[in-house]
Amino acid sequence: MFCGMDLGSRQVKIALLENNQLKDSYFYDTITFYRQYGQKVEGKLKIDFAALGIGKVERIVTTGYGRNTLDIWGGQKIPELKAHTLGAVWQTGLADFTLLDLGGQDSKVIKVRRGKMVDFQTNDKCAASSGRYLENMVGVLGIDLEELSRHYEQPVDLNTTCAIFGESELIGRIIEGHSIGSLAAGVNYSIFHRIQPMLRSFPSEKIVFTGGVAKNQALAKIVEIEMDCEVIVPPYPQLNGALGCCQAAAMSLDKGGK
Amino acid sequence: MKKIGLTTTVPVEVIFAAGMVPVDINNIFVAHPEKTKLVDAAELAGYPRNLCGWIKGLYSTILAEEEIKTLLAVTQGDCSNTHALMETLQLQGIEIIPFSYPFDRDREMLKLQIEKLIGALETSWEAALEQKKYLDKIRAKVHLLDQLTWQENIVTSEENHLYQVSCSDFWGEPEKFEQQIDQVLEEVKKRQPYQAEVRLGYIGVPPIITDFYSYIEELGARVVFNEVQRQFAMPFAVADLVEQYRMYTYPYDIFGRLEDIQREIAKRKVDGIIHYTQSFCFRQIEDLIIREKLQVPVLTVEGDRPGPMDARNKIRLESFIELFK
Repeated sequence: MFCGMDLGSRQVKIALLENNQLKDSYFYDTITFYRQYGQKVEGKLKIDFAALGIGKVERIVTTGYGRNTLDIWGGQKIPELKAHTLGAVWQTGLADFTLLDLGGQDSKVIKVRRGKMVDFQTNDKCAASSGRYLENMVGVLGIDLEELSRHYEQPVDLNTTCAIFGESELIGRIIEGHSIGSLAAGVNYSIFHRIQPMLRSFPSEKIVFTGGVAKNQALAKIVEIEMDCEVIVPPYPQLNGALGCCQAAAMSLDKGGK
Repeated sequence: MKKIGLTTTVPVEVIFAAGMVPVDINNIFVAHPEKTKLVDAAELAGYPRNLCGWIKGLYSTILAEEEIKTLLAVTQGDCSNTHALMETLQLQGIEIIPFSYPFDRDREMLKLQIEKLIGALETSWEAALEQKKYLDKIRAKVHLLDQLTWQENIVTSEENHLYQVSCSDFWGEPEKFEQQIDQVLEEVKKRQPYQAEVRLGYIGVPPIITDFYSYIEELGARVVFNEVQRQFAMPFAVADLVEQYRMYTYPYDIFGRLEDIQREIAKRKVDGIIHYTQSFCFRQIEDLIIREKLQVPVLTVEGDRPGPMDARNKIRLESFIELFK
């Protein structure tokens, strides 16, 4: 059994893979995870797998934001974008596509050809195109993320670059009397506008959409309409990085690793 | 000897000819133990938060360096914020001498600019040319160091950056600088070649990120081409002073720079390019031209304030280097 861990900025995602099948998965709030299940041993973070309820694993591979500051005891690290590429290839069976991953703070666009990452762009210095932005905006609208993900038609215009100022802009639109549907569609479109230049850099017939934001069906629909291509949301969009880690573990065994 | 501050590379021969000591303020700032505080000080003085960290650092560094009362500032061909830097420093009593690289590389205009500089510093063409001969000898040694970087693989990414970038002012002490170069050349020849799998090129202004080069080497890559730093060392050996600063690519248009970059990518077998820009810099717009024109993968790295590399850029660099493994 292989264990893949994606130490994200908001959540820690764990996938367990056995016989090339997803056996189990776990999601933890990042801070809670480190506090409750982590212990510093010889400068590395030792995870209490017993407390997590995870049995014996052959190999642990980690990725994500946390791996730059933390070495997991007994784990092998791989770069984040590699993990996401491997995860998307495994989940979809595709070899040529553009991978769009929208997470808690990160936006990543990866060009994948013949199953390998050949180029990428990520957001930098600004997280206004991430899940956190959507969470803030649904708070302002008084709806939940599920409701938000239903609307893509007749969007209101939201132009502010800053995600926080975006809130006051949205409030202005609410006062103007737009419907919740239009407002929600406007929020979804504002995410799309921020990632559009990155997507345009790597045109593909298929876009694989992962990360927590991929659960937003309206956004997937917007990408499909605006980019005029097929958008595929794999079965486990949030687990994609962790699944990629499992793949890396499996491949490393194939190559004769210990 | 009177010290004169520089905002970027200028015809430094003229300064030495005038018996003055050039001080590239960028190098003082980025090596300063309290560089972050220098940026804070400029913000407290009223410099906007959303402005390049270099320009804020330059402002405070000049005011902190008591011996520097005169600044030679490049108004065309470097940073678009320099005008306001000059004005705010003038307000603080610093004497400003402007210098401008003509946008279209016009020889006569450039000659006139150098002539004006010669006049302002009360020296002569003859004296400047004499200095050029002397400095060219040192530059040739720096060129050799660069060659040993990409051809023999015995010079580190950081050494390549450091000694070339220092050619803007030769530390104000060309003799001492030359001795150091001689020593480094001796030392590197005893090394075994580095075996890094990935060969990168670095284009754009020098990084404000202090551990930039060492981090890249930790990841198993090497920078074998530092574009602007190499330009500071005047890589095109020409006898004519005006022509030298006309061939110098950095202050002119991006297309001239790209020709040089493409030539070096091919010659040095560069796998990928890191395009470094400062946050809030107009050069971020040029990124789109660079991406369109270069055939190798490009990673754009953005730096803001001085200090070690942040976690996000680390992730991005790691993934970029992974592309070539």
